Amino acid sequence: MPGTPFKARVRQALLNPTLRGALERFAADYVVAREQVFAGRDFEGLRTKIASIKSAAALQLRELGEEFARQVTLRGGKVFFARDAASAREYVLKVAKEHGVTRVVKSKSFATEEIQLNEYLAEHGIVSYETDLAEWILQLMPGERPSHMVMPAIHLPKEEVAKVFSRHKGRPVEPDIKTMVRIAREELRDKFLTAGLGITGANIAVAETGTIILFTNEGNARLATTLPPVHIAVVGYEKLVPRIKDVLPILEALPRSGTAQPITSYVTMITGPVPVGGVEGTALKEFHVVLLDNGRLEMARDPVFREALQCIRCAACTNVCPVFQLVSGQVYGFVYSGGIGSILTAFFNSVEQAADPQSLCIGCRRCTEVCPAKINIPDLVLELRKRIAREHGMPFSYRLALRGVVAKPKVMQGVLALGKKLQRPVTGGQPFIRSLPGPFKGWTEGRSLPALSSRPLRERIRDLEKAPVEPRLTAAFYAGCVIDYVYPEIGEAIFRVLQGAGVQVRFPLDQGCCGAPALYTGDIETALKLARWNIEVLERASTGVIITACPTCAVALKHKLPSLLSGEPTWYERALDIAAKVKDFNELVQEMEVSFPGFSTGERIKITYHDSCHYKRHLGLAQVAREVLKRHKGVELVEMQESDRCCGFGGSYTLKYPEISQALLERKLRRILESGARIVVTDCPGCLVQLRGGLDKTSSPVLAKHTAEILAAGQDLR
Amino acid sequence: MVREDLVESFCRHAKAMGALTTKVKDVQRMKNEILEFLKPRGQRVAVAVSPLLKSADLEAALKEAGFEVETSGAWFAREADSGIVEFDLGVAETGTLVHDATDLYKRLASMLPLNCVAVLPANRIVRDMTQAFEYYLGQKTWPGYLALVTGPSRTADIERSLTIGVHGPECLLIVLVEEGEGSNAGDSL
Ligand code: SF4
Ligand code: SF4
Repeated sequence: MPGTPFKARVRQALLNPTLRGALERFAADYVVAREQVFAGRDFEGLRTKIASIKSAAALQLRELGEEFARQVTLRGGKVFFARDAASAREYVLKVAKEHGVTRVVKSKSFATEEIQLNEYLAEHGIVSYETDLAEWILQLMPGERPSHMVMPAIHLPKEEVAKVFSRHKGRPVEPDIKTMVRIAREELRDKFLTAGLGITGANIAVAETGTIILFTNEGNARLATTLPPVHIAVVGYEKLVPRIKDVLPILEALPRSGTAQPITSYVTMITGPVPVGGVEGTALKEFHVVLLDNGRLEMARDPVFREALQCIRCAACTNVCPVFQLVSGQVYGFVYSGGIGSILTAFFNSVEQAADPQSLCIGCRRCTEVCPAKINIPDLVLELRKRIAREHGMPFSYRLALRGVVAKPKVMQGVLALGKKLQRPVTGGQPFIRSLPGPFKGWTEGRSLPALSSRPLRERIRDLEKAPVEPRLTAAFYAGCVIDYVYPEIGEAIFRVLQGAGVQVRFPLDQGCCGAPALYTGDIETALKLARWNIEVLERASTGVIITACPTCAVALKHKLPSLLSGEPTWYERALDIAAKVKDFNELVQEMEVSFPGFSTGERIKITYHDSCHYKRHLGLAQVAREVLKRHKGVELVEMQESDRCCGFGGSYTLKYPEISQALLERKLRRILESGARIVVTDCPGCLVQLRGGLDKTSSPVLAKHTAEILAAGQDLR
Repeated sequence: MVREDLVESFCRHAKAMGALTTKVKDVQRMKNEILEFLKPRGQRVAVAVSPLLKSADLEAALKEAGFEVETSGAWFAREADSGIVEFDLGVAETGTLVHDATDLYKRLASMLPLNCVAVLPANRIVRDMTQAFEYYLGQKTWPGYLALVTGPSRTADIERSLTIGVHGPECLLIVLVEEGEGSNAGDSL
């Protein structure tokens, strides 16, 4: 479906150099600044604390809401429980009308955007002024979408802002930031002083004291809660924490995670109405809180998605997300962007509206390293994908491929054998498919696709399976589809290295696909079928160890099989038994302390290491791989920059969003070249598909290899 | 941390966040320091009266030096060039000022003018936010409007370029007074 408006938006964003430049510069600076601002702090400890406070709160949102309301009321404020967006809007309008309000000042709030408050009030003749500078700029640009949750106007160069201001003021405004900020101050100050109502959100709400807490740098929330005689805070249930002390870890983590600041200029904690003016400054303000449900309480009842309520909206996840950096919040649409945004959208808006945004997540897991609320965003996205596939079905082509072929290992073997023959017209006998015709052109745009091997691993094992004289160990090799059918030479290398170390390696011929392609597109039925199939096959192999050399397969066997089968006790036990035996090739090499003498020529080859997302962040083996490579005397390891940034492979993602995949690849190739290495090594055959394809397309002399291929090379490397 | 270290750490962090800091021996020197600072910054000064500022008789000193001083009224601080406020606590770890700003004048004097003078007794600096929270938890009720202020008002919304003085003060001077008690100085510190 290349023609959907969503995909058009993706393409448009990718073609916008100002947007991309701004986001990439920010992302690069952010990583460094974040590191500094957390230096010497126990980030793991901190986020464990936040996760435990917020996850406990998520289990008792209703009670916390009631206690919060009791406290606010005791202090003289009012709380309205809003079931949905409509009732929240209506309440705000009612209060505004009671006070004859015609102008409202607002400080940045997701919740009010979520309920589309400004539009609603406008329909009823009430003007709302956004007072956060970026929000105000966007308000002056009808139709412009925010590009980032914390810095919504990050994509606008100052010249653009000057144009907007010039138009607004009816006189030329110089593109000087200081001048423009002063204009905003003067104009908005007038709004603050004349508005009848101030509307804010809240970053935190404390049940114990009935306090709402606001973080700002500009100081606009202070004015919005001090000058107008009425204040309404629209607060989502998930902002609630039980005690005032629970604020401390969030206060420590939120500004550090969001903008890498130790603290925002202002943190404002409001408890009940306070004086607002009148005689001797003693008249009290009217203080209302709209406690917004709008899908949150349903989310809290959901054992899986409840986790997303831990979010403190810091945007750290989007700051490090390689996909977000390319397309920005403008593409995700709705109020909440990035991977977490798609989850929230599914509950606050609808699952339909989350379908496109969630599909942008490539599953690289980078966000899980920085989320101060310890939310496993990519896994939640997968869960959502599952539900979407279940409720709305998959495209026919996917269903045919997954259910008709992949789900049936025997059929798949036949199809691949046939494919091997049929591919000749496009490969011309080369190991690459360099271009495809018609609608598939995009697939080979910046990356050649690999051809199927003329002799898959399964056809070579008769020559390979020779037992060492006195085996130290017997292991089954679970190759996975890519090694088996595309890169059988990796499989051969593994046989050679392990046999050299005294391991008897067996190759169970019936092994099927690990199920990851099905799992990552949400096809649970197929994933389950394959899970049972593979468990039976691997049980029959009856070895103590099962070797993998593909992190996607390893994750599937180790983690996904048990979780898929967790509802069926006997199968679950069997899955756990298999999972316990799975070991990555490098892990085994390291454990057996195999050493490699180096090349016969005595030369040392510069290599650089690319961290596969799953290998590093799911299996946690980034260091092991490097140590194993250092066991080879002929290898000199030079690190590239951003070695753990996603290369853009992501399985079927490559086919769904070829432009994004390619933009990620280009950056990766640049980093590889900058390292000056002759070979880039990785432990994921999927990454190899991507890297080799890109290197081939750009006619680069750099080679891409699997660690096993390096270790097996005693002579030379080609 | 001993007191000198707390003061030193507080000043270092406050400066890093864009505040100006100065340490004075007593209230007399405090007045001089404030007058010096205000001189080039306009005539109109809004003072949020507090016991320390009162005991120093700051209002009289300002008037004597030719400033127009406001201490109350419906238009308080709206047209003022500078505001003067006493704070309850300083947090060394981040250079943050904390006060119970339930009093309207305290809020307005620190929010509206382009310049803000924050007065803080040097013995009221605590190590971290936890201690600051404990201080207020030790009181009968949690304050109605508790404000944490770190440096001047800032924005980075246009091209991520740091610009100060967007809605609040563009210049924040923190005067740490070594002798003399704070307004509601509990012995709890
Ligand atoms: S897993 Fe990767 S692609 Fe998905 S949201 Fe996280 S950082 Fe972005
Ligand atoms: S998911 Fe985590 S990193 Fe992302 S905004 Fe929420 S708390 Fe921050």
